Amino acid sequence: MTVASPSGSYLERPSGGLAEIVGLILDKGLVIDVYARVSLVGIEVLTIDARVVVASVDTYLRFAEAVNRLDLTQTETPGVPGLIKEVREGGAESKTKGALEGVKDVVGNILAGGIGEGDEEDEEDEEELEPEARPRQRSHPASRKDRER
Amino acid sequence: VEQPAPADATAHTAYAKEVAMIGCYVYGIVPETQTSTNVEDLPAVANTHGKISFIRHRELAAVVSDVPTDRPLGTPEDLRSYAKVLDTLAATGAPILPLRFGTVIMDAQAVDHMLTEGYDHFMAALERLQGYAQFTVNARYAQDAVLREVLNERPDISQLREEIKDLPEEASYHQQIQLGQLVAEAVSNKRDTVAAEIQQCLAPLAADTTTSSPPADETVVDLSFLVRNTHRAAFEQAAEDLARRWHGRIRLRLLGPLAPYDFVADAMASSEEAP
Repeated sequence: MTVASPSGSYLERPSGGLAEIVGLILDKGLVIDVYARVSLVGIEVLTIDARVVVASVDTYLRFAEAVNRLDLTQTETPGVPGLIKEVREGGAESKTKGALEGVKDVVGNILAGGIGEGDEEDEEDEEELEPEARPRQRSHPASRKDRER
Repeated sequence: VEQPAPADATAHTAYAKEVAMIGCYVYGIVPETQTSTNVEDLPAVANTHGKISFIRHRELAAVVSDVPTDRPLGTPEDLRSYAKVLDTLAATGAPILPLRFGTVIMDAQAVDHMLTEGYDHFMAALERLQGYAQFTVNARYAQDAVLREVLNERPDISQLREEIKDLPEEASYHQQIQLGQLVAEAVSNKRDTVAAEIQQCLAPLAADTTTSSPPADETVVDLSFLVRNTHRAAFEQAAEDLARRWHGRIRLRLLGPLAPYDFVADAMASSEEAP
């Protein structure tokens, strides 16, 4: 549920953003196998885990790119909120955006395109997302989703 | 974390396809009194025309909807629907046991059987969670702010950066990785410090906490808190104070009240220890 933030609040109160949901619910919650799968003969319990793993080299290269692009001629003192805020907001639009926010984008992209529409064929899906199976591209980090059962 | 698929997984899937094209998606378990909550018309997982309903067993009810079993779950809509149903129920203030995303049981009779088998444990866990809700704090460093802090604090990193700044990309590939790794580690350390500070400020207002850091993103940390309803206002105020203090440096987001995704397993475990 969303509680509208009072104006002037520094704390964000988002609701329903996919990035938040993914972090919140994947691999969480009660696994009921012990109550159903084991004790009920012949009952199907399917627990599907969707996971996204991003290769670390891609992460490092994005960090290197980000720190290289950083313009050190700007000399804001940390702790001056107005100035830093400006930098941050500018940064969100700049080329370095992909560096640190890329991972969540990848999660979003995979969820938008990888799980779901392409899922009629399980095998195809796994092949598509296998990290070592294809050349690395810095703007499209290799990712993998494991599905169990 | 990879586990080998059970040997009979393929057989199970084939069986499910043959025998039951419609399964029972189970969102969670609530007290029977919660069945008056209006969730009927929320979007159901994997089934836009499905209705959310309850399977009652004495003082318990399972929150369910029909789900086709011939395709995997996990679209963005599936995830949203799942969380929306659970969080809507959690927002009423009554306890709820969220089941892991993707839990499908063959039919209503089997769900009833599950409620029968686990009745005492489910009731005990609900009692433990009565009067509490989960809040999750998501902290994310402002990108440039954290990079500047790292370069200011780590001469070795800024020196390496200077050394390879003007080299062509191909010639400095390995140094680029080294630079990125050093920065990533430094950022990761800062994240841990931030997590500890959040913990220190908010944990006294919560009954339980967990911390999780997405391994692939060094700028983000999630902390979940199990907050008693009577402490909620104080908790929210403390989070607001932190957000104000870190404004421009760290972005704080507060999610909740939520179903106790991070705490349900403990609540169940406790109920099993003390039958």
